[in-house]
Amino acid sequence: MINRRHFLTTVAIGTASAAALAACGTGSTTAGETGSAENPVTITYTWWGNDDRAERTRKAIALFEEKNKDIKVNGNFTDFPGYWQKRATEAAGGGLPDVMQWDLSYLRDYGQRNQLLDLGTVNINTDAFDKSLLPSGQIRGKTYGIPTSTNAFAVYYDPAKLASLGIAEPDGTWTYDEYNSFLTEVGSKGNGTIFGGTDYTSVWWMFNIWLRQNNIEAFTEDGKLGFTKDDLKKWWNTVSDLRGTPAIVSEERVTQLAPKSPFGSNVTATEVTWDNFMAGYLADSGAKELKLVPVPSDDPDNLGLFLKPSMLMVASAKTKYKDAAARFIDFMVNDPEVGEIFKTSRGVPASKTQRDGTTFEGTDKLVVDYEKSIEKYLKDAPEPPIVGFGTLEASFKRISADLNYGKVDVNGAADAWFKEAEDLIKQNA
Amino acid sequence: MTTMATPTQSAPNAPAEHYNPKSESVTAKRVKSGIFHAVALTLTAIVLYPALWMVASSFKPNDEIGGGNTALWSNNFSFDNFVTAMDGIGGVSTLTFFTNSLILAVGAVVGTILSASVSAYAFARIKFPGRSVFFGMMIATLLLPFHVVIIPQYIVFQQLGLVDTYIPLLIGKFLAADAFFVFLMVQFMRNLPAELDEAARIDGAGHVRIFGSIMLPLMKPALISTSIFSFIWSWNDFLAPLLYLNTPEKYPLPLALRLFQDQTQSSDYGAMIAMSVLALLPVLIFFLVFQRYIVEGVSTQGLKG
Repeated sequence: MINRRHFLTTVAIGTASAAALAACGTGSTTAGETGSAENPVTITYTWWGNDDRAERTRKAIALFEEKNKDIKVNGNFTDFPGYWQKRATEAAGGGLPDVMQWDLSYLRDYGQRNQLLDLGTVNINTDAFDKSLLPSGQIRGKTYGIPTSTNAFAVYYDPAKLASLGIAEPDGTWTYDEYNSFLTEVGSKGNGTIFGGTDYTSVWWMFNIWLRQNNIEAFTEDGKLGFTKDDLKKWWNTVSDLRGTPAIVSEERVTQLAPKSPFGSNVTATEVTWDNFMAGYLADSGAKELKLVPVPSDDPDNLGLFLKPSMLMVASAKTKYKDAAARFIDFMVNDPEVGEIFKTSRGVPASKTQRDGTTFEGTDKLVVDYEKSIEKYLKDAPEPPIVGFGTLEASFKRISADLNYGKVDVNGAADAWFKEAEDLIKQNA
Repeated sequence: MTTMATPTQSAPNAPAEHYNPKSESVTAKRVKSGIFHAVALTLTAIVLYPALWMVASSFKPNDEIGGGNTALWSNNFSFDNFVTAMDGIGGVSTLTFFTNSLILAVGAVVGTILSASVSAYAFARIKFPGRSVFFGMMIATLLLPFHVVIIPQYIVFQQLGLVDTYIPLLIGKFLAADAFFVFLMVQFMRNLPAELDEAARIDGAGHVRIFGSIMLPLMKPALISTSIFSFIWSWNDFLAPLLYLNTPEKYPLPLALRLFQDQTQSSDYGAMIAMSVLALLPVLIFFLVFQRYIVEGVSTQGLKG
């Protein structure tokens, strides 16, 4: 497999030369080439995902083509890791597809290198979007991505498992101490077969939420770290009493269970993660029902929660069909019928028009209801993560794992992570 | 009785005494061979366990695969995974993926055999100016990782408008770009006696005739090893098809396999494993049919080298 950092460097060089070449070309018209019903233009659209998403997307494309006789959409898909290898190569070769499904962690990489179209220059209706959400698709005032859908952080639990252990279901108003003692209770009653949960301090986004609860920024506007080593130590010490007890499933076990999560494998009763993982957890665990409650917070009025685009739509900066691309994006994010097709499989629809036009049932309804229930706590979504954020997130997870293996103590772990983070930020500055 | 017994006893006794050290060594050999087989079987079991796990898991329901389930056999035995796998992905039938893989693999075998053998003949038998330099350059391309050339190569094919066709995947095979196979054949050919083509030359044969009638038949072992390896490599190749193919209808199996796994939604491990089992079959059959020749090819090369 390709080393990602080296690969990206190569791509960056390639991209730079491609951009230099492109600069020699002539500027295109604002709308780009347009088609007619007799002579339609063809745009390419690509996404990642499984069979289920492919079916749904094909339906949405068919619907779009039916409503827009002058545009044909050529849809392609690959798996998630392959998707980014392919995009990196295409970006270097100047052959990015016209419209693409996008992930937040790659938005800044490609946006800063002028690979993506500024969607503010084309006609896409964002009136129905929550104003706190749009900044997450923007970099320095330019809109590179339109969120299709949102997800939010939550604590999952399996009510059947809690009932079998004789533990009352949580209501989601809890402090970290209360959450810890809940995990301990599950772990001790679980008798070695059911553990409380995975170490929630090993999840970057949970740390980010905790920072927000304490009114600390994760990253400053100029792309530096907004918190101190002491903040990180304090965070990792939150569960220092729980490590090595049945409240937290051991790291050895987590590794054995991979690629499935301990929660999906019915080894833990709770899990802290994004609310759109519901369908995956249900399928993996075979549980009849899973429930969602808000994350713990020591300040009951500030849960630090926000809506994050679970997926965005972007267009290639080099697309010849700006107008067609914009109309397709607008359709995919706003049309209620598209909402009916995807339900919550992309996340909860971000556009109110689309959300209100969709009927949610069962699992879908649980996720939508959860996001409604936390509405009053929501704050602005963070800006797109810094370049190389994926590496930082992965090393956060890895160093936390070392902490759980007992290879390092909290001080050593914080030192190690800060060193990696500062090196990376310097490198990408 | 005693007189009778003594000779009869002594008769086998004497040779028995005589052969005693040998009979001991026979039992020792048996013990040794027993231990050897036990160790070999254990190792085989360890090595083959993943394959066994894969086959067993392909009959299990999705939620019993991986995770905490270590049992090989499930009580919920079913062929459902195979049914799902054969259904295809996103409206593309699994047979299409198989056909595509087959086209690519057969194309790779044909291309490599044709081009590598001709190039090898030139390097091994024809003296032309700069031969050793070119040979050195060819070997040097072995040291060049594929990842280094990806982007320049992609740009070339993109500019030529050949992306989303099989041409970028196959053209290299027809142009002897696989230095490894050329090298393999050159080495093999160098060990064939030069007297054979000298004799042919005296009879008036040119290069074409020498290559076609003398060299090719003698190179059978090398050609077969090459076919097997290039078939398997092409069958398993993931990165090149990923980069060059856009339309799902053109995807080969390795790309399709990955589509059953999706981090952002649910992964269908059962169907993925079932399809892996199916994808393994052609390679397995190919190997079983030709394995005799692989061993032959490797051993002849070893003897002559």
